[in-house]
This record gives sequence, C-alpha cells and structure tokens, in this order.
Amino acid sequence: MKIWKLFSILSIALILLFQAGCSDSSSSSSGEKDGVVTLKFWDMHTDAEKAFFEDLVKEYNAANEGKVKIEYTAFNQSDYSNTKLPVAFANDEGPDVFMVSPGDFTKYAESNILADLNSYFPEGAKEDFLPASIEAVTYDDKVLALPYELELLGLYYNKKMLADAGVEVPKTWDELKSAAEKLTTSDVAGLVLPTDKAAYLNFIWYPFLWQQGGNVLNEDGTKSTFNSPEVAKALDYWGSFFQDGQAPSKLQYGPWDAGNLGTGSAAMSIVGTWLVPVLEKDYADTEFGLAPIPVPEGGKPATDAGGWKMAVNANSEHVDEAAKFIMWCFAEDKSRPLKWATEVKFAYSPRISVVEEGQAIYDKGLRKVFTEEIYDSAIPEPRFGPEIVDAVGEAMQQVMFGDVSGEDAAEEAHKKIEEALNK
Amino acid sequence: MKRKGMKRKLNETLTAYGFLLPNLLGLTLFVFVPMVYAFYVSLHEWNALSPKVFIGFDNYKEMASDKEWWNSVYRTLIFTVIYVPLLFAGSLFFAVMLNTMRQRFVGVARTMFLLPFAITSVISAVIWMFLYDPRNGFINQFFDLVGLPNQQFLGSTDQALLSIIIVIFWINLGYNMMIFLASIKEIPIDYYEAAKIDGATGWKAFWHITFPLLRPTSIFILVVTTIGSFQVFDQIMVMTKGGPANSTMVSVLYIYKQGFEFLNMGYASALAVVLFLIIFVLSLAQLRLYTKKD
Repeated sequence: MKIWKLFSILSIALILLFQAGCSDSSSSSSGEKDGVVTLKFWDMHTDAEKAFFEDLVKEYNAANEGKVKIEYTAFNQSDYSNTKLPVAFANDEGPDVFMVSPGDFTKYAESNILADLNSYFPEGAKEDFLPASIEAVTYDDKVLALPYELELLGLYYNKKMLADAGVEVPKTWDELKSAAEKLTTSDVAGLVLPTDKAAYLNFIWYPFLWQQGGNVLNEDGTKSTFNSPEVAKALDYWGSFFQDGQAPSKLQYGPWDAGNLGTGSAAMSIVGTWLVPVLEKDYADTEFGLAPIPVPEGGKPATDAGGWKMAVNANSEHVDEAAKFIMWCFAEDKSRPLKWATEVKFAYSPRISVVEEGQAIYDKGLRKVFTEEIYDSAIPEPRFGPEIVDAVGEAMQQVMFGDVSGEDAAEEAHKKIEEALNK
Repeated sequence: MKRKGMKRKLNETLTAYGFLLPNLLGLTLFVFVPMVYAFYVSLHEWNALSPKVFIGFDNYKEMASDKEWWNSVYRTLIFTVIYVPLLFAGSLFFAVMLNTMRQRFVGVARTMFLLPFAITSVISAVIWMFLYDPRNGFINQFFDLVGLPNQQFLGSTDQALLSIIIVIFWINLGYNMMIFLASIKEIPIDYYEAAKIDGATGWKAFWHITFPLLRPTSIFILVVTTIGSFQVFDQIMVMTKGGPANSTMVSVLYIYKQGFEFLNMGYASALAVVLFLIIFVLSLAQLRLYTKKD
C-alpha cells in the first residue's frame, strides 16, 4: 500500500514536471532610453532559422551600440499569427518589427498596421527584387513588407518505390492519378497531400487551378471567379485522391514535414523547397526524386511562390530605425540573404543578384530541378483575406470528405467570396 | 453583554468577507469585467487592429442567419447528448465497481483512473492522435489482429466527433468517478445491512439506496459536465481543427475562428454572449428539473 502511494505520488509529480511549459519572460516595452532606441522584433521561426535571426540581431546590436537595441522574441507559429500579434496590436503593444505571412498580409494592410517601406530601400535595391515579389507586397502603391524568400512547390517521390511498382515519373494529371493508385499499399500512401483546413491546404491546391488558367478572383481582385469550370475541375481532381483512398485523410506528420517521405510511409508528396536540405541531411540513405507538379491535358505548368515577409509596425514610434534594420537584413549586403536561402534553409531569394551569386548551390542535387524546371512557372502566393481563404478551404474539405461535387462546392464558396468582397 | 455579541458578530462577518475577498477580486477582474466588456464589444464592429465602430445589435441580427453558427450549435448539442450520459453512467459504474473492490487494489485503480486527468489536454489529444492514426495507429493495428476492418477515425466525417468524445470521456472519467466514490463512501453501511435483511442486495440495493442517496452528487456532475461539454475546445483544436469538412466544428471553435482567424472580434463576442446565455438557461433548467422532485 505504502509503495503504491509513493509510486502514484511520484508518477503524478513526474507528469506535472514534464508538463511544466516554458513561460514567457516579460518583455520590456519598446522606446527610448539614454538615447538608445529599443525595438521589439517578433518572429515565428524555430531551430536553425531562429538562430539565424538571433545572430542577425546580435550583429546589428553590436554594430549600432549606443544607438539602436533590438529585442528579439520568437513564438510558436500558430500562437504567433492567431493570438500574439492580434492581441498585441489590439492593445497598442505591437512589435516594431515582425514577420507577416501572405495569409495575414491583407488583414494588416487594410488596418493600416504596416508602414510604407518605399523610401527606405537603398539606392537601386528595389530594382534587384523580382517585380512579382514586390507586387505581392504592394498595396495602394505602397510597399508594405520586405520579401526575403520564395518557396516553390514540387512533386517529391521515392525513386525506389516508383521503380519497384514500375511507375514512370508522372507528368500529367492522369499519370499522377494512376501512379498514386499503383503506389498505394496498406503501409504506403500513394500521394501525401495536406488534409486539415488551413492556409497551407489552399497553398498546395492553387497550382492545380492555375495550370488550367483558372483563378479565385478576377484580375483586379474585385469579383469572384470561383464558379468557373476550372475551379470545379481542380476541386474534383484534388478530392478524388481522398475519395479513392490514395491520399491519407489524416496524417501523422505535418503535410509539410519530411517525415512522410523520409520514413517511407509515403511514395510521393507535393511539398516545397524547404524539404531539400532536410531530405539530404536526415534521410540521406533513401533516394528521392523531384519533378514539376503534373499538368492537366492542354494546361501549362504552375507552382506557388510562398514565403514570409518582414514588416514594420506603422504605429511604432521608431519606424525609421525599424525600417533601416530590415533593409540591413535583406536588402543591402548579398551575404545575409544568400546565407538564409542557401545555408539556413533552401529557398530562392527574391533578389536577382543573390540568386546569381549562389548559382553553384542552386544547381546542387534536387535544387537543380527547382532552378531549371520549376522556377519559371512560379506565381506568388495569393494574399486573400481570411474569409476568402476559409471559403476556398471549405470547398476543398467538401470535395475531400463531404461527397460533394466540385461544381456544387465551388458554387457555395463563390457566394461566400462575393459576400466577403462586398463587405 | 449584548454589545459584545454584536461586536463579535461584526468581527466574524468581516473575517468571512476577508477570506472571500481574494477570490471575489479574482472573479471580478478575470470573469465579470471581461464578460461585461465582451457584451460591450459585441455591439461594435471591431477587427482588433482599428478602432471600434458602434453598430448596435447588428452582430446579433447577422447571427440569426448565420447557418454555420447554428450548425456548430447543433453539433455541440449532439456532442452533449452523447457525452454527458456516457460520462455520467461510466463514472458511476466504475465508482460502484471500485467500491466493491478489495481495499488494497482500490488505491492503485483510483490512481490509474485519475492519471489521464493529470495530463494536459493538449498532450492527451496528441497521444490519442497517434492511437487513432489510420495507417500506423495502435487501434487499427489491433483491429487487424482481431480481423476487424480498418477505420479512418479522425479522418472520417462520421467518426471524428465520436472519436473525440471518447478522448474527453477518457480524460474526465477518473475525476468524476472520484466524486461519486467519495459520496458512495459517505452512505452509512446500516442502510445496506437493513436492506439485506429485507432481501435487497446487488442491483436492488443500488437502485433503491445508492442511486437515490447520490442525488446531490449526480445533479452536480450532470450540470458541470453539461456546461463543460458546451465549452469543449482544446482537444478538438489539436486533433481536427473542426474538420474534416466541419464535422467537429463546435460552437467555441467557431467563435475562435471568427475572433482570431477572421479578426471579427465584435461578431465573435456576440456569439460568445449568446453561447453564454444558452449555457446559462440550460443549467438553470437542469437544476430546476432535478431539484423539483425533492
């Protein structure tokens, strides 16, 4: 009895111990002290990517000793976007510098939270950026964020599994469908696609729509074009993988995670550039291939160019200092953006000169496929407001799990998008 | 003499309020004030980033025709109708079973039942996600062993809600069982002895002695569980985020979506006020219903 008592107390104590999460250290408010401008910089990166920004901040602080001091804080990504930032801005305690995703961009731009960076670009720097990447952060003729990476999507596959099943690398929709069917076994998923409703789900699906020339909104973003036959076709095609059991309806790893392919539980997956270094480093024993996302008959290749951006709080007391810092990070010297895009992670820098500088790395291994076969078909990730993202995601969920036809799901979403646009 | 008594009474009252004060302060600061503020916000259009715009009861009018909201309320009701009786019956059953067990095993069993309750809800949700995994999960592997067909669980629109109910049942079973067990132990043994003489044992003794005498505990558990089931959030947020195809989109999750994903803080507050009213009325009705017969 006594032993059991001790055992139970110990086990409960152990559980509590494991649960003790880390608590936030209280952040000091930004402002000026003894002539030193203190800036709050909030981030959502982890691991090596977080370390990169920590080092940047250290370097910048050392170089500007006595003038500017940046305080860096990193948060968990979902807390960051959905809780930390809105709550902080609502209380006028928002950070001076922060990361913004395409999914949140419009929300902040509409609320005048983002400062115009146009006048802060160093001489000739803006012209070095790909026009499409600047266009993606331009709102009312103002450049409201600084792009620093372009992440492209491609079809990764396990070479051995395809060879064993006698499957050629799929190039068309029909080939992808039949390849997924042949590769699906009781242990292996033919094709891993995202399952949960989130901006990421839409992100992976857009290429299938763009390949046929379809889109969510019209050119100037004022009207929904979601009731088009292209949308219905892209929805039906996407949904069929789930209806026919070739794409798992629930995943153990995130759909963006290398674990799906790496552990051999999936034969193919549509994932982004970030996977290349992980596969090389953590799963070096398995041979992986990479191909552009298969296109439908008569369609043209397309892929997303996603990626977070750096922004400055328009309500900050020190917009100048904050803007200077982010320009220093990614718009001045080539070494920092190059290190970020080639060493810390694999992505494309939106700066033409940086990509040229890193040519040798961009041609290494699977990166070559991205550089030579995929890069030219990239379209910047759309920055729709959250209601439109949700409507598109809902249509996808309906065709994936709800036994609804692409046409009906598209019609329903079309109404919601129109409603959101008219608000 | 009389004066002294009054003084003592005053002292006692002061002491009592003194002890209540910290709790009252906390409640006021963290519950009552936010509640009133939420109602204030619900009369505005507010995206948390720009100033609030007063729009009267427009948010409430919008809600009336918001199909997705009423669907989420309906789904919450289904959750409640399955979960509350299941938890009530389950915890009562195990409490009675435990009560008949030999003393030395009771401690072990009690601890084991209570352990899930000591795990953070998010962690237990993650544990169950591994169990439920359609491909490598233990449950499907077990199904393979005994020759049952594999299931999709959280990946299926038909099974997701039930799968989540099982997880929350697993978490809360031990705690509610302990409350029942404590009350059962309070029932004087004489009653059972008297019943035995009259020939009432087992099922009869339970039905005529244990169950009626547990009435106050039962009411407490039913009301608290019902309120809890209307507030279910964290496990669903972790396991399905309301999916697949909205099949687990309960009210609180929908409020979260409106508030923190769409940044419709005003509208989300209006939804929260209505959900509060629903829970309030339901709890009152329950209390009325159960205590009337006394």
